[in-house]
Amino acid sequence: MNRRITAVTVATVVAYLGIIVIWHVYSPDRNIELQNPGADERPPETARKANDVRIGEFFMRYEETASGLTGQWPRFRGAAASNILQTSAPLSLPQEDYPELWEVSTGEGHAATVIHKGFVYFLDYDESLSSDMLRCFSLETGREQWRRWYRVPMKRNHGFSRTVPVVSDGYIITIGPQAHLMCCDPVSGDLRWAKDMQAEYRTEVPPWYAGQCPHVDKDVLVVAPAGEEVLMAGIDCRTGETLWQTPNTPGFKMSHSSVMQMTLHGKSTYVYIGLGGVCGVSAEEADRGTLLWSTSKWQPSVVSPSPLQLSAGSIFLVAGYGSGGALLTLDRQGSKWTPTIVEQYKANEGLSSEQQTPILYNNMIITVIPKDGGSMRGKLVAYPPSDLHNPIWSSAADERFGLGPYFILNNHLFVFKDDGELYVYEIGSRSLQLRKKQRIMDGVDAWGSMAYADGRLIVRDAHHIKCLRIN
Amino acid sequence: MHKAVDRKMSDPISRKRFLRLCGSITAGAAVAGISGLALSKIGKEGGTFWQIDPAKCTFCGRCETDCVLAVSAVKCVHANRVCGYCDLCGGYYRSNVKDLNTAAENLMCPTGAIQRKFVEDPYFEYSIDESLCNGCGKCAKGCNSFGNGSLYLQVNQEICEDCNECKISRVCPSGAIQRVAASKAYILKDG
Repeated sequence: MNRRITAVTVATVVAYLGIIVIWHVYSPDRNIELQNPGADERPPETARKANDVRIGEFFMRYEETASGLTGQWPRFRGAAASNILQTSAPLSLPQEDYPELWEVSTGEGHAATVIHKGFVYFLDYDESLSSDMLRCFSLETGREQWRRWYRVPMKRNHGFSRTVPVVSDGYIITIGPQAHLMCCDPVSGDLRWAKDMQAEYRTEVPPWYAGQCPHVDKDVLVVAPAGEEVLMAGIDCRTGETLWQTPNTPGFKMSHSSVMQMTLHGKSTYVYIGLGGVCGVSAEEADRGTLLWSTSKWQPSVVSPSPLQLSAGSIFLVAGYGSGGALLTLDRQGSKWTPTIVEQYKANEGLSSEQQTPILYNNMIITVIPKDGGSMRGKLVAYPPSDLHNPIWSSAADERFGLGPYFILNNHLFVFKDDGELYVYEIGSRSLQLRKKQRIMDGVDAWGSMAYADGRLIVRDAHHIKCLRIN
Repeated sequence: MHKAVDRKMSDPISRKRFLRLCGSITAGAAVAGISGLALSKIGKEGGTFWQIDPAKCTFCGRCETDCVLAVSAVKCVHANRVCGYCDLCGGYYRSNVKDLNTAAENLMCPTGAIQRKFVEDPYFEYSIDESLCNGCGKCAKGCNSFGNGSLYLQVNQEICEDCNECKISRVCPSGAIQRVAASKAYILKDG
């Protein structure tokens, strides 16, 4: 009996050992090949890493359409950087909906469009390719003409894209979410020049990525890299050559705000709100790039709206996330400038805005109150520049707009609610009247600013861009 | 009735009649076979085939899963004249790839059917190993999200069973699979 048990045990062990040996020795498919790096015979010196950014390296043209249109929305807040446009053609306010001309899908983001002579441009982010992508469309048909892109992997953070390009004859300039500057020909899409502000200026990209929109003054690009050494820089739009730099003596860091050009006490000035304070840099030929003044008396942790000039010596400052508003006045004695924050208050105490830059129109500051604005939260409001705490008018209790954009066309205020509904108001000196309301899309985070040219209005939410015929 | 049956059963078949019957069956089978072959030949040369219209295809993936063959007759085709020869190819690399090299974990194609060779920096020439392609269309979808669409799907007529009712065509959401003339059995982007 014992011998039999022993024999069975030995046989079982031998069988198991045999199975184990066969398992390791026998390959069921001898045609398996390992797919390893190097199969494409790529030379080692051209190897690419995820963070190896070559700005503007890829290009694709789809169509080459001519256009006879001449309209312009060439930069952030339009040609005058005011978000106000007056056209010779009267505004159309039909009973029926404005017709939708075309729609395109975008990467997740908020980067808005510019329009130049019949073409629409915006800096998209293509998540499947991990790439910033400057895309050009026909304003008339919505068909894509070309795109130029570069790989810059990053993670979603309330979308990716943020900024509005600046376009003119001969160049279109973009600032990517990771502070990459790219200049292309607006017709051919050819790459003119590029700069990495993180590498060149040691810029620290702000949370939720760069939101600064480029400013151009007489073919000179003015940006505020707010890096370790350079606060502001002037770059030749056509060549990419650096013309002047302002040392970052105040030690500001890059915010989401953009450089605004103002004439303050007779002097042309580039005004910028950085993380750390507010500054003014000379825009005049004699001392261009010279830091005229700065103050750290108002320094919110996050700033999206840009500074708004109220008079020759006063600037309205505003930021979200509980910061509220502030009024900065400037005193000039010869070359000596004295900035003073004469008042600052929380969002629920007066005129405030979280993301959009208010509009100064007919001696009214028009904005949408942020969510921490108390009973006025989300409402469209107008305040006199002389009193930032008591509104002239506000929208009805059920007309609240979140973080959506707004602009003025022929005395009418177009407001795009952040869920995709368009409101058109006629602006009065003491009130506003709702003239038209239209659901454009079931929108998600429709925060990108609107653009208008040649009778066509362009709006976007986080995933789509639509063009409407409104005039 | 009973009488007739009984008579039939009672008459043994003659040898002559048996041979005549076998001859008729053989001749009939021969005629039927030759006719079938002829009709089949006409179907291949003068009839129609199933083919995918690249302009309608949405790369839904059903070509891979719904073909009656074990490995689909639908294969990826590459139009070199349309290709941008990109280093960062949306049809070659999967989304959010970390490193731009040929390691399997970086590639879009699940079977390694797309291969590429370095031309000059930053250009690469792409080709398809059709024996590995399973027709999933992932590469074509990625390439078309780029926009030029040089990678696209076609039914390989050498493999296709040419079913009367193509099973893929029944589930194709965009109606991209259609009958085409045998003289133009492929709808190619580069002619």
